[in-house]
Amino acid sequence: MKKVIVDNVSLQFRMYHDGASSMKEFFANIVRKNKKKHYTDFLALQGVSFSVNDGERLGIIGRNGAGKSTLLRTISRIYEPTVGRVEVHGRVAPLLDIGAGFHPEFTGRENIYFNGAFLGYSKEQLREIEKEVIAFAELEDFIDSPVKYYSTGMYMRLAFSLATTVHPDVLILDELFVGGDASFVQRGKERMNKMIDRASVMILVSHDPSLLRSVCDRYIWLDHGKLIADGDVSVLDAYIAS
Amino acid sequence: MLKYINEIKQHRNVLDQLVRQQITLRYRRTFFGYLWTLFNPLLMMSVTAVVFSEIFKMDLKTYAVFLFSGVIAFNLFGTIVTQCGQSLVGNEQLIKKIYIPKLFFPLAVSITLLIDSLLMFVSLFFIIIIIGGNISIALIGLFPAYVLLYLFAFGIGLITSVVSVYFRDLLHIITILMQALVFLSPVYFKPDSLGGKVKWLIEINPLTQFIELFRSPIFSATFPAIGVYLLAAFYAALSLSIGIWFFNKHEQRVTFRM
Repeated sequence: MKKVIVDNVSLQFRMYHDGASSMKEFFANIVRKNKKKHYTDFLALQGVSFSVNDGERLGIIGRNGAGKSTLLRTISRIYEPTVGRVEVHGRVAPLLDIGAGFHPEFTGRENIYFNGAFLGYSKEQLREIEKEVIAFAELEDFIDSPVKYYSTGMYMRLAFSLATTVHPDVLILDELFVGGDASFVQRGKERMNKMIDRASVMILVSHDPSLLRSVCDRYIWLDHGKLIADGDVSVLDAYIAS
Repeated sequence: MLKYINEIKQHRNVLDQLVRQQITLRYRRTFFGYLWTLFNPLLMMSVTAVVFSEIFKMDLKTYAVFLFSGVIAFNLFGTIVTQCGQSLVGNEQLIKKIYIPKLFFPLAVSITLLIDSLLMFVSLFFIIIIIGGNISIALIGLFPAYVLLYLFAFGIGLITSVVSVYFRDLLHIITILMQALVFLSPVYFKPDSLGGKVKWLIEINPLTQFIELFRSPIFSATFPAIGVYLLAAFYAALSLSIGIWFFNKHEQRVTFRM
């Protein structure tokens, strides 16, 4: 069954050179004769199409600025595609940024409920899994301190544990999340493998060939917003050779 | 519209959490906590009541009740419009990193402010009764008054939330406009006490109707005229439909401009 369908997706970004625009400029531009554009449009994704089936572990590769993160964000619905359409079936757990959707002033426990809501959990579900989330993240001692005092690793463990305790249908990971101390990485991988066994989809962006090799079974190579190759580990080999 | 109702149904827990966040975080680690919501308007109203009752040559207690009914309405409107203006800009970090229906940001802020206003109303109402306010059946009329004023303010808040992403200056402009608007609305004085050249400004000001919806039951212990309700309902419907239309048109592009 197809879990994720990306159909001919293009995404146009507008880069503003001025930071924040102001009313003054808006009116000045109306009056001014030779209007100087203070932005440039560029296509971060161009006609990208692929679909991901149950159980696939997809690795997205490409150079910096190739559009990998943009693609992840589009699948996570943060960006709306300018052209084309994205379809995702089931519950999505995006782990794109350390601390995304965490409120720094809230304690870890409060954040389980706060962030959990964004991940599509109901309150009852969260009450049920609360203990397990804390145990897997190994944060028993710190769970009632505000997360602004957390280290990067603690943030990451809590976010990962929360996103994966009830296995999501689609797990979207930036490689940041596969960092952390060795024992947690090991357990993270085990859990990820378990999730795959339960026929979930994982999409991972990474620059680390050995990590990719150990978890992914299919690769998509992006370059300048275009999909240039899609296939098994030979795509990764070709990318590394290029 | 339907799309938004579905979004709210589907992600009710998210909305719940956002409102909770607003309420619990504001006063965390402050000694008086929630009481700060009351101190501020209470102090402002006391000072204003003393000064203006003297100017208008009115009995202080009577004027205090009169003032209270106007302030409670204007405050709800002013805070919703102002704080919705910051609701998207201020949550840039969340919007860019995780998918949450964008409507929820102005919605959560405005619901929080509505709760604030209701709590403020209840607490201040005790004081009002002590100094001689009226309790009457007409107070039931405050329910539709709250609903209509909330919808009216929320519609405008939807627009300010989007526009301020593009023009950050708007936040400052709104603050100034609100200071002017409070004197162009019958908050401190009766609508007919302002004559001459600016009289029409009071007449066309939608807030005049909404303030009347609050003032009649609280101050005069009478139901507002049906015409006032109809006019207020018209303004509320107009504001809300323009607000939703505008928000829907722009919400997808907003992420790119943050």
